Amino acid sequence: MIELQHIDKYIESRFQRIFLLKGINLTISQGEFITLMGPSGAGKSTLLNILGLLDEDFEGEYRFGDKDIRKMKQRELSNLHKSEFGYIFQAYHLIDELTVYENIETPLLYRNVSSSERKSIIADLLDRFKMVAKKDLFPAQLSGGQQQLVGIARAIAGKPSLLLADEPTGNLHSAQAKEIMEIFQELHREGTTIIQATHARENAEYGTRLIQLIDGRIESDEKI
Amino acid sequence: MWKNYFKISFRNLQKRKLYAGINLLGLTIALVSFISISLYIFHEWSYDRMYSDAERIYKINQEFVSAGERQLVGTSPSMLPVVLRDEFTEVEKATLIFDLGIFSTVMVDAGMGNQEESKFAYTDEYFFDVFDLKVLAGQKSKILQHPFEIILTQSTAQRLFGTVENAVGKSLKVDDRSFKVLAVMEDFPQNSHLDFDFLASFQTHRHGKDPQWSPSNYYNYVKLKEGANVADFERNLAEMVDRNLGSDQKEYGFETDFYTQPVTAIHTGDPSLSPIKPGVNLKYLYIFGIVALLLLGIGIINYVNLATAEATERNKEVGLRKVLGASQTQLFGQFVSESMILTLFALMISILVVYLLGPILSNWIQVPLQLGLLGTPLGFCFLASVLVFVGFFSGTYPSLILSGMKPISALDNKVKLGGGAWVRKSLVVFQFFVSMGLLIATFVVKSQLDFMREVSLGYEKERLISLSYPYQAREKIPLIKEEMKRSGAAVSIAQAADMPIHIKAGYKIFPGGDNPREFMITGYAVDLDLISTLNINFLAGGNFSQADLSRDQLKDGSEEFPILLNESAVKEMGWSPEEAIGKRVNLSDMRNAVIKGVVEDFYFNSLHQKVSPLVIFNSPSEANVLLIRIPEGDPSSHLARLEQVWNLQVPDRPFNPQFVDQAYANLYSSEQKSSFIFSLFAGIAVFIACIGLFGLVSYVALRRTQEISIRKVLGATAWDVLGVLALDFVKLLAVSSLLAVGFGIWFSQNWLEDFANQTQVGWGPYLLSMVTVLALALTTIGYRTWKVYRVNPSKTLKSE
Repeated sequence: MIELQHIDKYIESRFQRIFLLKGINLTISQGEFITLMGPSGAGKSTLLNILGLLDEDFEGEYRFGDKDIRKMKQRELSNLHKSEFGYIFQAYHLIDELTVYENIETPLLYRNVSSSERKSIIADLLDRFKMVAKKDLFPAQLSGGQQQLVGIARAIAGKPSLLLADEPTGNLHSAQAKEIMEIFQELHREGTTIIQATHARENAEYGTRLIQLIDGRIESDEKI
Repeated sequence: MWKNYFKISFRNLQKRKLYAGINLLGLTIALVSFISISLYIFHEWSYDRMYSDAERIYKINQEFVSAGERQLVGTSPSMLPVVLRDEFTEVEKATLIFDLGIFSTVMVDAGMGNQEESKFAYTDEYFFDVFDLKVLAGQKSKILQHPFEIILTQSTAQRLFGTVENAVGKSLKVDDRSFKVLAVMEDFPQNSHLDFDFLASFQTHRHGKDPQWSPSNYYNYVKLKEGANVADFERNLAEMVDRNLGSDQKEYGFETDFYTQPVTAIHTGDPSLSPIKPGVNLKYLYIFGIVALLLLGIGIINYVNLATAEATERNKEVGLRKVLGASQTQLFGQFVSESMILTLFALMISILVVYLLGPILSNWIQVPLQLGLLGTPLGFCFLASVLVFVGFFSGTYPSLILSGMKPISALDNKVKLGGGAWVRKSLVVFQFFVSMGLLIATFVVKSQLDFMREVSLGYEKERLISLSYPYQAREKIPLIKEEMKRSGAAVSIAQAADMPIHIKAGYKIFPGGDNPREFMITGYAVDLDLISTLNINFLAGGNFSQADLSRDQLKDGSEEFPILLNESAVKEMGWSPEEAIGKRVNLSDMRNAVIKGVVEDFYFNSLHQKVSPLVIFNSPSEANVLLIRIPEGDPSSHLARLEQVWNLQVPDRPFNPQFVDQAYANLYSSEQKSSFIFSLFAGIAVFIACIGLFGLVSYVALRRTQEISIRKVLGATAWDVLGVLALDFVKLLAVSSLLAVGFGIWFSQNWLEDFANQTQVGWGPYLLSMVTVLALALTTIGYRTWKVYRVNPSKTLKSE
């Protein structure tokens, strides 16, 4: 599904290059549930951003399916981005001005999904995450776990094939974290490819593959 | 999608109240100004466009060339319309108007005694063929064909006879001659250059029955046939002049030329060509239009500045939306719709304000603003395009900035809007440049006005009353003068042709002898008492005496006739005042005029003109007004006593005194109007710019709250903090000042060009406007700084 070759990412400072990622080679196949682990600054988020097409400023080769993303036009890239990717953040990053319902609706709006279809998709998601009663609340009125549920609902609303999650449970206590991970597992069973970055070893247990990063390099890569 | 945009935009505005409030206020004020000015300009532009076929109606003006001098006049002979109708195939209709108001007022008696009326004109039966105004009652066709027929306008009919229907068929005395009211017409529209209360048949007038090529006292209008070529028509006119006037022209040594002026161009044209109603200077219309756009620009800039400053706060939202799949176009749409909504609100409030303020504004600028226009399809289109224009222009730049941010850096709040900063700075510079420029313009206009008001005219214009009297009362003047002086309400009284602030009669003077040059001189017909009444100083010689002849006592003009000249006149002849005394000159029919005295120059016209040569001569029979010097004390009691004398001696004429100093001030009414409008504009510009600055400083202060707290902990005073925050803005204001000074110099040169007598502008206006704007700006910044400074550091510092 995704093939990375010789990925370098660095910052030019006055006298030297500081490498955030160096020589990353990685192949990800459909249906995997990958956990990226490593200490702070190891390059987990950087790698996720590159994988998620949020950061185009890197060197090396990135193939998605049979396409080289370097050779894609802005419009194709944007379409790929919209149709294949979903994102989940540590700090939830919900839009404060929008209600739960509207937050989930936003990606659908940008995908020009018709109004009736939007309603049914959102209704299903609200039902699935047991948030129907909270649909008109604003993010500030929800607990952290609930906000992250909305974040996940929003990420999967567009039916992405690849879900990227950067420390999805980092701001949650363990009970909430467990709930989120179980949802991930369920999504994985339904066929979604998931890549998560995390500090917590126990989260890796839910996945199928564990990649350890240290100082911008892949230290180990093992199946679980 | 759009529904969603609007919903979110609305919530955003609700959430950021300060931001939305400042923008709303700024935009509303700018829009109110813009809409009002547009209405005003539209009104001035709409003049004389209401007649059907207005584009085919022309006024015929005339150019005289005589003794090498060209003169444009708006009048032409009574024979012209007759010839136009008979001999010109391209003419559909031609009509003539004789405005009596430019000569004198008339006394109208509708059965309630004499009333003075000034809007009285003669015209012919073709008037309504050219100007299709409605006849409301009475005879609708074949009117004004016979002598002593008259038409009243609706409001005149109501004023004199109660109702329109009542007036028809009644008779009316005009200067003791009886006219029959044939019909009542609608009032002349407010945006028509024609403005009369009475239209009497020109057949009443001797030139109506017997049209002549001289005099040229009449306004002539033609309606050309459809498709007629104006250039061809003018060529035919020239041929016609040769045919009819060729021999006269040779004999008397003059040339004349008729040319056309579109009726729609009269109001904005040369005011001397059509004095029925004061016109408008096209230059001012352009200036107002530009200023209206500038004010709108300042309002838009406020939005742009605040929105880009605020963009830093909205990084996260933008980043997220991008991650969720928003394209740049979609984000752009959202931010533009936000500015559209705000503009829509501002526009709605503005329309309300314009409706409320409209009548007051109309009253201030003495121009009726047609508020109803906003409700018409045309007005709607105008407002809609304003909405789109303002919404789009204010929204575009911030939206580009916001939608162009990179998602990751936006999410991490790493964006410093470095790129936007210089744009924002230039916009601030522009705003304050406009504000200061307008202020400078205001001060320049005002200093010229003050100069004109306070300049010594060369005589005392205070406590001087001008009282016009009818020809018929001429015999009684000596008695009236005597009685008025005896009443104690007059120190001194003189007879004169007109007020000393507009002396106009032109004469030719020929010094003779060793000085063969002939030149034009203005003449002032007065009596013996003028010099003492006005307190004019002599440079040499002295006043006329009782023994001297007056002009009507001259038999063949060869008698010795004493005259007084002003300093400019003797200078023009190359004499010193002393040398001039006793010299003989040839002055029109006064061929043996002796210079008896030379007076100091005094201003006898508006200060637009330089003091030119003037001759004063003794001719009480040509006088039209009494100039009365009243004593110190309450003017109204003096006036009351003068009126008593008047009513006793001239019972059938109203007592209508005018203060000369007020009439003098009125000469500058158009400048006063523009001074007022300029100061209003300047005030608005400064205000909008300052609230914009307030908003910007608020953001800066907000972003730097923590820094300020740290400085405070380290011992900074409020002044130090003000310095930190204000320095950047003061630099920008300095740039604005430089630009504004440049503009001011250009403006004062251009504007003062119209005045032959100019004030010395100096640095006052420049310094004053800079200091004003700077003080306001610093107050704005200071207020904001003080609020941030007072925040307890423990509050802002503990969160980290």
